Amino acid sequence: MSKVRETLITNCERKFLMKCLSEWRRLDGRSFDEFRPLELKFGKQWGSCYVSLGNTKVLAQTSCEIQQPKSSRPSEGILNINIELNPLAAPHFEAGRQSELSVQLNRLLEKCVKDSKAVDLESLCIKTNEKVWALKVDINVLNHEGNILDCASIAMLASLTHFRRPDVTCDGEEFIIHSYQQRDPIPTVIHHYPVCITYAIFNGGEYILADPSLLEEGSADAMLTIGLNGFKELCALHLGGKAELAPSIILSTVSKATSRATVVIEEIKKSVKADTEQRQEKASVGFHTEDNFKTTLVFGQSLDTWHTNKKKRNKKHKKAQPQSQNTVVIDKGSVEHVPQTENKKEVWDVDNNSDDDLIIVEKPKVQIELLTDSEEDDVVILGPVKNKK
Amino acid sequence: MSKLKSSCKLGILSRPDGSVLFSQDETTVVAGVYGPVESKANKALVEKACVEAHFRPKSGLPGVKDRLNESIIRNVCEAAIATAMYPRTSVVVVIQEMQNNGQLISCALNAACLALLDSGIDMKCMFAAVTCFIHKDESLVFTPPINEDQVKAMFMFVFDSVEKSIIASHTDGSFSVEQYKDALSLCKEECANMFDFFKKSLTIK
Repeated sequence: MSKVRETLITNCERKFLMKCLSEWRRLDGRSFDEFRPLELKFGKQWGSCYVSLGNTKVLAQTSCEIQQPKSSRPSEGILNINIELNPLAAPHFEAGRQSELSVQLNRLLEKCVKDSKAVDLESLCIKTNEKVWALKVDINVLNHEGNILDCASIAMLASLTHFRRPDVTCDGEEFIIHSYQQRDPIPTVIHHYPVCITYAIFNGGEYILADPSLLEEGSADAMLTIGLNGFKELCALHLGGKAELAPSIILSTVSKATSRATVVIEEIKKSVKADTEQRQEKASVGFHTEDNFKTTLVFGQSLDTWHTNKKKRNKKHKKAQPQSQNTVVIDKGSVEHVPQTENKKEVWDVDNNSDDDLIIVEKPKVQIELLTDSEEDDVVILGPVKNKK
Repeated sequence: MSKLKSSCKLGILSRPDGSVLFSQDETTVVAGVYGPVESKANKALVEKACVEAHFRPKSGLPGVKDRLNESIIRNVCEAAIATAMYPRTSVVVVIQEMQNNGQLISCALNAACLALLDSGIDMKCMFAAVTCFIHKDESLVFTPPINEDQVKAMFMFVFDSVEKSIIASHTDGSFSVEQYKDALSLCKEECANMFDFFKKSLTIK
């Protein structure tokens, strides 16, 4: 039944995507190894974290309880990971029912974090054979726009890093759990931070796209997921789908992924640190704070501030536009018409009126410097105008 | 009496037809609406649309309390949506808890209303929910006390925007008839502010 609600990918869309790829372009204007912007937010409770990777959005919450340890591992705590495909994320996801996708995602996350022994489980032991802490990470997918796994793995790690469990003392017989007010809560010991990085593979490795979107994910031949930690150690490797890949391609993709892993881990550590500092300063933290409602209405506040914000932004955009009149920046700076100047090395020769002769800059992130006519000695930098809405 | 601070951000999710990030005081939820969509064969109604409500807690599986919330949300939404316009289909309302500070149900209902408005589905009326609490010292407040056992009773009322009449009432704890009437009139005043807020947030969008 749920098949009816599923959004299918048409042959038309697939063909168009492949045509774009053959021109070394992606539909959202990213370069092939560019990731969508990552954003982390923390809730008021310890261990609640909201992560957005582009439009894919995930909420993770870590919770803990005291349990009897497994008899095979009497001195180790328990870590449970549970990913839930919320019906909010896509209409065909069913609440409270496991699907093929959710089992696969769960297993991959377990492989990445549990099997690589990232969390120190022995520190979760209270009394051998009797009482240990059981940590549980619940991951709720809120919006499915491709690459749930990367987003979920970041959310899970951030949530585990952010989480603090209450202190426990034992006076011979009884165990006392101290509330957060009584004693400072204890952070979880994490040995290393393994993150998942996913690539979509087309045409048997001809095109490899980082952080695939929903359409790219649906039409890819295979998906290569790489679990990596900050020490550049491989924690998980999973190739799903059907593609004959040469080992050299896998190795080169892994080495590409290492730099991304470092960036992501830095970002997680940085945001957790910033949040902890805010808490220490007794600033209000959580999802309800005004930062999360920027450019929207807050009850009791006049509308004027919103309008002035908008005006200011427009002004900024005008300033950000290159001053030279002959220069036109089209769509996020990926395509540019540039007038003919003396500096031929960095400037292309394009007729301003013909749309057919657009020049494609493969990597929009690269900043292009060009010198204008010698009368004005200033340098115009055509940066990609991001966040332009 | 201090009023509650409400904030909302419409259209935060790209997949659902309507979505909102909504917070009242410190309680925050995300709501999304899909609809009208294909209905499950056993749920399809011949003469009207079927409203499916899902309430997801932050952690763990949904329990009895979450099911209760779900049924309240479903009943209220069913009363407000013009279901007769969409026979043999489903309208899916999903609420995800983000942060709970006491008035979770009213926050979820207000978010559901905003998400429905955002989705553009036909509605008979808007609805707004207001929660108020009775302290141990018999005082009536909108913000819940920090200590949960200071609460003697909790009231939650839902009003419609056309006749400003009550469409749902949910209570918890013990109280007198007088207190109930007081709470009702207090919440009725506050709900007018909520409707105002809904309208403003829609015009801004």
